[in-house]
Amino acid sequence: MYSSVLSATISGVEGVPVLVEADVSGGLPVFSMVGYLSSRVREAQERVWTALRNTGLTFPPKRITVNLSPADIRKEGTRFDLPIAAALLGAFGYLEHEKLQGVCMAGELGLNGEIKGVRGILPIVDTAVKNRCPLCIVPSANLAETAGFCGIKVLGVSSLEEFLELAKLEDWGASLVSEPESKEEKDEEYQDDFSDILGQEAAKRAAVIAAAGFHNILFIGTKGAGKTMIATRLPTIFPELDREDSMELSRIYSVAGLLGGERTRIRTRPFRSPHHTATAKALAGGGAYPTPGEITLAHKGILFLDELPEFSRSALEILRQPLEQRKIFISRVHGNYEFPADFLLAAAMNPCPCGYYPDRNRCACTRHQVENYLGKISGPLLDRFDICTEMREVPGEKLKHRSAGKTSEEIRREVLRVHEIQKERYKGTEITFNSRLSGKETEKFCITDKNAGRLLGKVYEKLGLSVRGYYKILKTARTIADLEGSEKIRENHISEAVCYRSIDKKYWK
Amino acid sequence: MMEQRDRAWICKREDRQYPKKLQYYDSMPEVLYIRGELPEPDKPVVAIVGARACSRYGEHQAYRFGKILGENGVQVISGLARGVDGMAHRGALDAGGKTFAVMGCGGDICYPPEHRELYERMKEGDGGILSEFPDGTPPYGRNFPRRNRIISGLADLVLVIEARTRSGSLITAGYALEQGKTVYALPGRVGDALSEGCNQLIADGAGIACSPEMLLEEIGIRAERKVNFRQNSKIRLASQEEMVYSCLDFQPKNIEDIYQETRLDTRVIAEVLLKLELDGLVTEPVKNYYARAGG
Repeated sequence: MYSSVLSATISGVEGVPVLVEADVSGGLPVFSMVGYLSSRVREAQERVWTALRNTGLTFPPKRITVNLSPADIRKEGTRFDLPIAAALLGAFGYLEHEKLQGVCMAGELGLNGEIKGVRGILPIVDTAVKNRCPLCIVPSANLAETAGFCGIKVLGVSSLEEFLELAKLEDWGASLVSEPESKEEKDEEYQDDFSDILGQEAAKRAAVIAAAGFHNILFIGTKGAGKTMIATRLPTIFPELDREDSMELSRIYSVAGLLGGERTRIRTRPFRSPHHTATAKALAGGGAYPTPGEITLAHKGILFLDELPEFSRSALEILRQPLEQRKIFISRVHGNYEFPADFLLAAAMNPCPCGYYPDRNRCACTRHQVENYLGKISGPLLDRFDICTEMREVPGEKLKHRSAGKTSEEIRREVLRVHEIQKERYKGTEITFNSRLSGKETEKFCITDKNAGRLLGKVYEKLGLSVRGYYKILKTARTIADLEGSEKIRENHISEAVCYRSIDKKYWK
Repeated sequence: MMEQRDRAWICKREDRQYPKKLQYYDSMPEVLYIRGELPEPDKPVVAIVGARACSRYGEHQAYRFGKILGENGVQVISGLARGVDGMAHRGALDAGGKTFAVMGCGGDICYPPEHRELYERMKEGDGGILSEFPDGTPPYGRNFPRRNRIISGLADLVLVIEARTRSGSLITAGYALEQGKTVYALPGRVGDALSEGCNQLIADGAGIACSPEMLLEEIGIRAERKVNFRQNSKIRLASQEEMVYSCLDFQPKNIEDIYQETRLDTRVIAEVLLKLELDGLVTEPVKNYYARAGG
């Protein structure tokens, strides 16, 4: 007898529908599985067979064929255990074939019939919605993640016995389950606050501008200046994600297996801080079946690279494409994968190997050493920082009588206001933030008043800017003007943007 | 001999041209390889030496001393190294004076390579490149302290601009004392690592180089005091600009330092600094570090 059930596999961060078919016929008792399966899927055979028998069911010796269709897509993972078991139950007549129609399922089986959680449940439910499948059966462990989906009912099961019990009910008992309600979770409370940072006014201001316009930012400074301290507080000044972004991000985290337990939905901007030993693949996403890398996990959030020159050259160069295109394409033998990677790059570095340059009283590095150190970061990468700020440690006694600056809460409100201004301005376009403007768009949206235009021209000539540098200053000035609520870019906005412009190599000589 | 400028000419100890000043000392080399000319024996020679990794202050002063000495017909001699040496050569060349470099490698090798322009100018008529090593000798580290004895030997007076304790510049000063030359040191702030060597020399009895004119007097040249050094402070500035400008000096400061001193908003500081930079009053030698433009 033939039976089939819908499931899904994951390509990148998207789900692809997969039909799991099972057929039982006469002949030599053989269990064969086909459909371009990886060994992890192939092992399902043993798990499913044992689990079914341990649930107390008996099966006559028959020829069993399982096919996962479409057969030309490589299937991977353990999430097909449950649909294979369901299809077999259908094929052996324990379930009616009709019962399995309009149901999408995924889950891993234990030998005792237990159903365990799997990665990437969100894209699977998403696929079910897209295929107009009204019901989805997932492991109980993954149920919380699926909260908030509209137009589909999601059931959680924790064992095959429970699954069979549900099967006896009309419509799997879905009518008894209320629509899974999205729990009103509280925002993640941040331990750190911007007001913890004493001094470093210029760097704090630069951080606010970066957050407001989503500009990439580079902190350069001596050790102990507070570079890392400011960078790790960047997420605290970002407003919460909107629903759409939150869902997109949750899907990524679901695929990466980082959802679950307490954390069922990503609501705040992620902050990823990979160690400098991270390889190119760790950043980009790797494996024979690529899983999201750090840059994808930092999507819509912040990728912070501390000790930038210590990262390997190949790891850093891999950032160039995603910084331009906001996504990354990975080609592997089993196919091409696309991962979103629209992140804010924040980085911190010392100015020279000893960290004290240009204080010649403490720094004895030769110019050659200093140049070499900076040379570890290629010009094109350096070019992608809109904002660069220089920090020096502040002597302790100067800090004693300082009142704390603005709190994260206050800054977050400011940033939110600027984000809304940008949303309004770029309505109907692809642009999200000032930093995402192309050259032509910069001319269109970054309008300067007369004095500012004159100043910019003078700066362009005197400081020998490149055209790209010129646009970067304009974009940063646009954000500064937005922070002030000014429609046009004025002279003081330009001068501040010039101050935070990214480094030219010549400034290191 | 002087015509073949791209080839070294050789000056042996027994030759007539061999500098008289070097004849006195046994330790001087038997042979000198020369590109360009030798210092003229009847004109005064001042050696300017100092740290390679020097401060902006050191660079500035080296240039200034080199320039004013050069303007007054003094021949400036140094080692073509990065930092102080290079700036002293540059100052002398810019003044139209003669300047000589004593190399620690073969005279055909321009070391450090970024001083190619200085090297060419000296070779082509504004002085000379001297070496005790035959052409093709690579820049071995051990050779550099040795050539310092020739620098001090050729000089009437040795000026140390910036030196850490236990540095090559102090080796030169040591040779100079052995050879009985006058040693001057540029005073610095107590606590600055780069001035420790100089201040120590002063404590040990070296002359204090308060101005290039002092050195000129020491070697018997009357110089008119030039006033251009103080010009900048006469510039009239708006009050905020004055506040920012007055807290800058030749030691680069970053915005945080300026903020601490002036208590102006960082936005205002950025605006003022850009204005001053565009007017040529302030330079930004390193990203976000600002200093007064040269006097």
